[in-house]
Amino acid sequence: MDRRKKDGIANFFIYASAGITVFLLVFIILFIVIKGLPGITIDFLTRNYEDKTTYVNIQLNKGEGGIGEDGYLPVLGAYITVNEQKGIALTKIDKDSPVKEAVDGLGEVYALKNKDTLTKIEDTAIDSYEKVKDSMTQEEYLKNIAEIFSEYAGQSVKIKVVRPGGGIVPMVVTTFYMIVLSLLIAAPVSILAAIYLNEYAVKGKLLNIIHFAIKNLAGIPSIIYGLFGSLFFVQILKMQYSLLSGAMTISIILLPTIITTTEETLKTIPNTYRESSLGLGATKLQTITKVILPSAVPGILVAVLLSVGRIVGESAALLLTAGTVAQIPKALFGNSASGATLTIKAYTLMKEENDLTTACAIGIILLIIIIGINISSKLITKKLLQKKGA
Amino acid sequence: MSLQKKCKFQVNDLNLFYGNFQALKNINMDIHENEITAFIGPSGCGKSTFLKTINRMNDLIDGVIIEGTIKMDGVDIYSDIDVIKLRKKVGMVFQQPNPFPMSIYDNVAYGPRVHGIKKKAQLDEIVEESLKRAAVWDEVKDRLKKNALSVSGGQQQRVCIARALAVEPDVILMDEPTSALDPISTMKIEDLALELKNKYTIIIVTHNMQQASRISDRTAFFLTGDMIEYGETEQIFNNPKEKKTEDYITGRFG
Ligand SMILES: Nc1ncnc2c1ncn2[C@@H]1O[C@H](COP(=O)(O)OP(=O)(O)O)[C@@H](O)[C@H]1O
Ligand SMILES: [Mg+2]
Repeated sequence: MDRRKKDGIANFFIYASAGITVFLLVFIILFIVIKGLPGITIDFLTRNYEDKTTYVNIQLNKGEGGIGEDGYLPVLGAYITVNEQKGIALTKIDKDSPVKEAVDGLGEVYALKNKDTLTKIEDTAIDSYEKVKDSMTQEEYLKNIAEIFSEYAGQSVKIKVVRPGGGIVPMVVTTFYMIVLSLLIAAPVSILAAIYLNEYAVKGKLLNIIHFAIKNLAGIPSIIYGLFGSLFFVQILKMQYSLLSGAMTISIILLPTIITTTEETLKTIPNTYRESSLGLGATKLQTITKVILPSAVPGILVAVLLSVGRIVGESAALLLTAGTVAQIPKALFGNSASGATLTIKAYTLMKEENDLTTACAIGIILLIIIIGINISSKLITKKLLQKKGA
Repeated sequence: MSLQKKCKFQVNDLNLFYGNFQALKNINMDIHENEITAFIGPSGCGKSTFLKTINRMNDLIDGVIIEGTIKMDGVDIYSDIDVIKLRKKVGMVFQQPNPFPMSIYDNVAYGPRVHGIKKKAQLDEIVEESLKRAAVWDEVKDRLKKNALSVSGGQQQRVCIARALAVEPDVILMDEPTSALDPISTMKIEDLALELKNKYTIIIVTHNMQQASRISDRTAFFLTGDMIEYGETEQIFNNPKEKKTEDYITGRFG
């Protein structure tokens, strides 16, 4: 074969491979976006995941009962409408509506919002319209309910309110907690370890063994760490499925990566910095804290940012240590400390509820986070390098 | 021509090994106070290695073995003085200008700060005084807060000299301090060295024989770890005793 032909074939494979990669990336992103976009609503972004039921006391307005044509209920100072599954839903609330001063069982203000559903007034349950739709129109149904309210005009009533969920707020918060906690544990440990390995450890067999161990730790699939975490943190240390069990497990996963990246960065710092500093009579510790670490900041920051990506994307290890409950963890460990991150929730939505739209909507959020991380790590590197070379 | 000056360093039977490799062989010499002593010799002959034994920079390298003694003002620097104290007294300037990636001010203030000086006024004074002594004050006085890497190479090197002067050393070691600089910057550094020797003892490694003959009082010629000849610069360059020295300075090798 002559050289031109060989070049041609090689070029073809190079371009074809690059093309396939780009195509796959675009295809996957488009798939996620098209499937998930309908799921991204204000409610999705701002609401709790589970419906929340609360009993509240409301001081109803005095005066006229009845209901307006448009569904306006004067004693509530709000518009109501039929809710599909149960009761009535608030659609528009007056500025001075008494529902804004609703008080829950603990005496805290629990201001009602649009879409909150009222299902019980004192002891009278509000049947769903579905149940009675054969015997009356929606207008009649709403009128009946308005009459119940009228009886209590001017009085304080106890109302059962269901606030619909369907949002990702708990998962966002859990993910955020997980990031902060994992980094708080992993970053200092790994940075100190990297400093030890690069600045203090004597080159030789022991150091080689440590490096070998770190390389291999980085290659272990995260499910193995998950199994270890679920046995050690969850069971033996009795932390249960919890934020802390998850964060500890993830920290172990992050150690090798942050150590390696930090070490690489420390290696790129010219030895003359160390020599000059020591030559001026600085101690080793002074040299490290005043010259070496400041110069290593860009590299360390990038390592930390990439770790954020890793935490956000982790599934197997967290499934086994932090659980799948869609709630904001209320403690670090123990039985109310469990919480699902966005990724875990996307997984359980597909696996257990077959809800592709919501899973993909979460996928979009994850994509945005990851792209954001990559862009900021680029910017940080660029900015700090510029500053250094200025 | 020279009045016999006080002896600053006495080097006795110095041998240095990097593992199995002997980089310095049985060096004996006296280095005099308030003089410029030049080390010359071809690449790899051990000039830098020897220079670094004087402020114990070789301590940082794994596997270095040092035999013999070096005394500074009669005190053995390897056994009778704390290494931090030694390095405070013996400053060093490197081949490549290597300011820290921080402002000019912070570079010069670095040494005093690590030795515990915190007062702003005192630091200001030290920084100004050091930069003036390093003959670079006028060029950088409006840019003290700028990154030291933003000034020219020659200025960076003088900032590095100022940084070394700021801890008030007695001795300044210079390892080919002008080899990365243009001729004008080189001249400025040479003038500076001549100025500084009134107050400090200067030991300079140089590749450039004209430089050695221009500025130094004494010259030592090294070859593969041996000190071949050591004497007054005039004598070494005009009337070398050793054949090897003559070959080297007349450019027959190296
Ligand atoms: N850290 C080291 N480890 C091993 N050998 C070294 C080390 N530093 C220098 N050498 C060797 O010691 C010899 C002298 O080096 P050096 O003092 O740098 O020479 P010069 O400064 O005269 O060019 C050279 O052969 C060099 O290869
Ligand atoms: Mg050298």
